[in-house]
This record gives sequence, C-alpha cells and structure tokens, in this order.
Amino acid sequence: MQIGSSSSSATEYVVRVPKNTSKKYNIMAFNAGDKVSCSTWTQARMERDMSNRRIYGEEETPDGAAGSEFGKKQREEARRKKYGIVTKEFKVEDQPWILKVNGKAGRRFKGLKKGGVTENASYYIFTQCADGAFEAFPVHSWYNFTPQAKHRTLTAEEAEEEWGRRNKVVNHFSIMLQRRLRQQEQGEEEEEEGEKGGKKKKKKGGRGGDLRIHDLEDDLEMSSDESDGSNGDDDEAKSKAKQDKGPKGKGKKKKKKKGSDLEGFEDSDDGDFEGLEVDYMSDESSSEEEEPEKPKPSKGEDVPKGIDEMSESEEESEEENKNEEDGKEEEEEEDGKKTPVQVEKKKKKDSSGESDSSEDSDIEGEAASALFMKKRTPPKRGGVRGSAGSSRTGSRPGTPSIDSAATSNTLRAAANKLEQGKRQTTVPSSETPATKRLKMEPSPQSSSGKSTPQPVSGKSTPSSSDVLLTEDAVRRYLIRKPMTTKDLLKKFQTKRTGLSSEQTVNVLAQILKRLNPERKNINDKMHFYLTE
Amino acid sequence: MSDKGEVDLTGAKQNTGVWLVKVPKYLSQQWAKATGRGEVGKLRICKNQGKAEVSFTLNEELTTLDTIGQKSSMVRAPREHPFTLQTVGGQTLAVFTENSSDSSLDKIALEGVVVQRAECRPAVSENYMRLKKLQIEELSKPLRFSQQLDKAVTTNYKPVANHAYNLDYEKKKKEEGKRARADKQQVLDMLFSAFEKHQYYNIKDLVDITKQPVIYLKEILRDIGIYNVKGTHKNTWELKPEYRHYQNEEKSD
Repeated sequence: MQIGSSSSSATEYVVRVPKNTSKKYNIMAFNAGDKVSCSTWTQARMERDMSNRRIYGEEETPDGAAGSEFGKKQREEARRKKYGIVTKEFKVEDQPWILKVNGKAGRRFKGLKKGGVTENASYYIFTQCADGAFEAFPVHSWYNFTPQAKHRTLTAEEAEEEWGRRNKVVNHFSIMLQRRLRQQEQGEEEEEEGEKGGKKKKKKGGRGGDLRIHDLEDDLEMSSDESDGSNGDDDEAKSKAKQDKGPKGKGKKKKKKKGSDLEGFEDSDDGDFEGLEVDYMSDESSSEEEEPEKPKPSKGEDVPKGIDEMSESEEESEEENKNEEDGKEEEEEEDGKKTPVQVEKKKKKDSSGESDSSEDSDIEGEAASALFMKKRTPPKRGGVRGSAGSSRTGSRPGTPSIDSAATSNTLRAAANKLEQGKRQTTVPSSETPATKRLKMEPSPQSSSGKSTPQPVSGKSTPSSSDVLLTEDAVRRYLIRKPMTTKDLLKKFQTKRTGLSSEQTVNVLAQILKRLNPERKNINDKMHFYLTE
Repeated sequence: MSDKGEVDLTGAKQNTGVWLVKVPKYLSQQWAKATGRGEVGKLRICKNQGKAEVSFTLNEELTTLDTIGQKSSMVRAPREHPFTLQTVGGQTLAVFTENSSDSSLDKIALEGVVVQRAECRPAVSENYMRLKKLQIEELSKPLRFSQQLDKAVTTNYKPVANHAYNLDYEKKKKEEGKRARADKQQVLDMLFSAFEKHQYYNIKDLVDITKQPVIYLKEILRDIGIYNVKGTHKNTWELKPEYRHYQNEEKSD
C-alpha cells in the first residue's frame, strides 16, 4: 500500500461503481470557440434527429390493397440478397441529437455521435456524493455538439458563385439580401408587380434582387416589372460576370442571378476597361429565362466575326441606353421595360465608387463585355450626361414620341446612343473608335426617325433575303406555337433577312410590342404566343 | 409527466462539477465484477505543495482476472493507479443522462459539467507487464487459421441415386395432380378476394393462389383484369378500373 508523503495532506475517498442504474451517461461536448455556458440555459429541449430515417427505411410502397404487389417484400429482399446489397440499419441510438436552448429565440445545436469512444478504453464520470464517496458511471456515448446557424446561408452553387466574385464584391450585406429577394421572387411569381416595385426600391438602396442585364433586349422583354428590376441589376451583374467569364453567352445564367454583381460593378473605374474587348453578344444574352434574348443569340452567332465592330456598337448602344434610362427612370418606373432597371442601375453605379472595376479589368475574362465597360463609362460621366438627359431628349429627333409612347426601348436606346455618340465623340471612353460609333449611328438614327413602328418597312429592304422580318411572319410563328424570343430570333437570322443583329432586335421588339402576344412560362422560359 | 425532449437542467444550474476519467479496459472489466454496493476501491487525493496527486487503489478482491486460459492465477490486475490530471481546456463538456427506464419517455437530464479530466494509469509493475504480455498474445492470434487435416472428410456428402428432397418433391407433385378447372364463378371469387388484398399480382402467384391451370386462369383474367407491361409494376395483372374499389375496400362485379 502506498504511504502518503508526510508533507502533504491526503484524503481518501471510497469509489463506488453503481450497478443498477438505468440511466445512461453521455458526454455533450462543445467547441471552445462557441462559448457555451450551461449555466445560462433557462430551458432546453433535446430530441433525436430522425431525418435520416427515410434513407435507411427505403422507399416504402403501399402495403396491401391499392398499389401493392403480392409478395413484393419477399422479392425485394431476395433481390437484395442476390446482389449483395447490404443496407445499414437505421439505429436510433446512433442518430444525432437536436438541442434547442432557451426556446425559439435561443441557440440550436446538433450533436453528432463520436465513434470509437468505447473501443479501447472506457470513460467514467466521477461524481462526488453527499457522503464524500465518489461514484463512477461509465460513459455510454460521446456527442459533439455544434451550433447551428440560424441566419440564412447560401447553397453550394451560390457560394461558389460568390466565391468567384469575392474580389469584386465589396458590399457583403447585399449578398444575402439579394438571395432573399430572389427567393421571394421565385415564390411569388404572380405578384411580380407589387413586389418588383418594392424590390426596385430595395435594389436602389441595396442593390438586391435579380436584376438582369439587358441591353437592347430590354426592349424586347415585355414581361412585368420583375424583369425590369432584374434587368437593371443584371446589367451590372452582367458586366461583372462578363469580366469573370468570357464573352460567351453562358455567362448569362450567372448574370441573371447576380445582384451582388452590382457591387463590383459599381466600383469599376472608367478607364479600366479601355482597350478591353467587348463581347456584345454574351452581354446581351445574359438572362436566359425571362428576358428575351433574341438579340443576344443572334449576336452571339456573330461574335466570331465582327466582335470589334459589335463591341463598338455595343458600347455606343450601351452608353446611349444608359443615358437614356437615366433620364427616363421616373417614367419607366412601372413600365414593363428593363430600362428603368438599367437606369436604376446606372444611378447606383453613379453613386457608388467604382473602384472595383479596376480589379475587374485585371481579372481574367478581359474579353468580357466591353459592353459592361462601356456601360460603366457612361455612368461615370453620368453626371454630365444626366444633366444632358433632358436636353438629349429634346434634341433627339422623333424620339420624344417614342419615349412617351413607350415603344421599343431598343429604338430609344439606339436613338440615345446615337445622340450620345454624336454629342460625346470626345468624352466617351476612348476605347470606342469614333468610326464604330458612327457606323451604328446611321441605322439607329434611321429607325428612330420613324416614331412608329415597322422600321423594317422604313429601312432599306434587305438585299437578298429569304425571310422578311415582318409582323405577319412573327404572327404566324406565334400562332402556330409558343416561342421564346430566342426562338424567334433564330427564325429571322441576320444572314437571311439582311438586317444586322441590332436591327433585328429593334425590329422584332417593335413587332412584338405591336402584336402584344400572350405570355406563358414554359420550363422557366418566357414564351410568347398568339391565339387567333 | 415530463415533456418528451424537455431537458432537466438542475445539474447545469447547480454547476455540478464532475470528473471525466479515462480508465483502461481491464480495469473497467474488473469494476463490472464489483459486488454489493459497488465499491471498487479507494481514491486518494494528496495536495502536495500545490499540486494535487490523485491515485486510485483497486480493492483486493477485484484483482483476480478471468483471463484467457492457463495463466489466470499467475497474473493479477495491478492495484495502484495514479491519475494523470488534465484540464478541460476551452472545451465545454457537459454530462447528460438518458433515462430509459420509462419505455416510452426518455428523460434527459443534465447532470453537470466536467471540471477535470484525468487518465487512470496503472502503476508500472512486473505484474502489469505480465498482464500486458498476456493481452498482446491474445490479440495477436489471428481470428482464423488454417489447419491441415490428416484424412479427407468423407462424412458430408455421399452420392445418392436420387436425393431425398427430390423424391419428396415428385411425390408431392403426383399427389397434387394437374390442376382442375373449377367453376368460373368460384375462380372469380377467389380472384376478387385476392385483389382486395393487393393490387398487383404476378401470374405465377395467381396460379398458386387459385390452383387453376394457367390457360384457364388467363382467360378469366383477360375478362376482368389488365396486364401491365410497362411501368413499375411490370408483368403484373391488376383488376380493370371498373372492378376496382380500393378506397372503399369493396368490389364490384
């Protein structure tokens, strides 16, 4: 027996291991960083998390009576045995715990069972009893409890997207805001109007919501405000996305959803995008679902060829668009057009710095939207242009009528661009050679000259066209079956109609406006159709 | 009646401190053998100039090991076990109990918080070394081993002209004879009652149930049922919709 040393005080306690307890002792382990103090708990509830039961329980088919098969169970079992499929049993003992502390407003924890605790050594809990003796209870299981986030989190896809934008996003608060708005949007497709109005406000403030970047496509988008809001946001987002992705139209998807793109977008500097190639096509085609991407697809096709040209023209149109939209923000607030959004977006851009854009330009994907870049430049000079907006409107020949009539935005945009281009040959981003701009001028101008529609008829007839882009043609298509804007654009290929892609877009927008077809959402895509 | 899931927080509120002690396997086995009130030994805590020394002494009667095989008498469990004390660290370790004596309601109670962690180590001694050696030997034996046989095994399978099982089977078949066609109405009744229980049936199962020749049965089935070729219930027969009444569990004819 060991003899205690003389200079120390030793006390002896009896150790007991009670035999008959029905109580099973378990360990609840919390991480140091979570700062959990059990003494602060006023009330707690804990239950097993049975959410895994269905995985283990297999799909249960109706047993007996309707829907069931004779001998199904035995056959299934025999089959499983034959193939050697071993399914783990669902053991309640091994399921995680869900611990809720302090009621609804309190914290939530999930406790996962730690394996291998009792394999080689046993843990005992020594408690001191009233009589001074120690009682030792064996630990049955060990659960590691981790706090569960009550705030909303991003899904894996969203998180990946945000990660790609991490250098550009400055305003982190709007990430979740936009996601929430996006969810709302999905949930309330019927109440788009009201919500969009609200969203727009929000977007103004916080740049949330699914804004889609639309250029000329905005005109073609005849859906509700939703698209508008989305559009505005998307534009910025698109520009951002463009920076990221290449000039491929695939960037659209992302852009559509990236309200947060706005952040980075706004921070871009004007001169950062100088010399960067613009992929007009990809820019436009950002939104796949709702926005009619008619111009985009067709433009996308042309990407390989005249990308420089297109980008140039795009720049112009972008600028014009922006400016115009700035001026028209109020009017178009409740319009079904995307311009308001664009205006909004522009405003936002104006207000916030654009520091991040410099980063953007550095980021890969420089071939990305010159579109965006161009767009950005306009906002930069937004101050200048904004003031000129009104004058712009006035000086534009024939455009006022267009504006008020709220005819094709493309027309307006085109007209705007024209004006802008003309007026600011010196000011605009140096990246746009004047030649390019001038090139675009004639066509939009001619179209804008006509306050009413049928620009096709007004314009030069296509030289060698197999297909004429007429209202009748479109009507025929839409009567036959519902089509998306993309589909329609495919029908009127630029090679066959002789019109440039931008013209096609303009004209088609006009026609659609006139026809005012019914809209239907099929597979998340907006289809137009007519019933005669 | 306590609310299921409600955690009893008395232990937490009182901030009851407990020790978490890691104990070697053999020791816990010995403790399981404790009799009476469960006393297993004595815990000695010495405060030696600020440092606490804790040691556990196993009771005499519990030192006998029922180990494997021959050496049980020679080796005994060591008695002295000094504790190595460790801090809990930043981690918060709470102890909760699950009382499953009431079969339906598990009462969960928070017993306390761990204030000290310790490891129970045996005091190194010859005895302990021997014990360990024994354990290692035991563990190192493979679970399966090959053994050479002297003679071939001839007792299991002997060649027979015809297996007993086969003979029985043939006899049974002869007895049963070919299935006779029963009255159509009777067959229909049987079918309907069968379809009441399950919706889909394999033709083989139906033959089994009704004991009718296949062709005859198929004829009847063609009248009242349909054959599923595709879908989840492949190659099964089910009643025609007009004959079905699954919600009300009735059948119409």
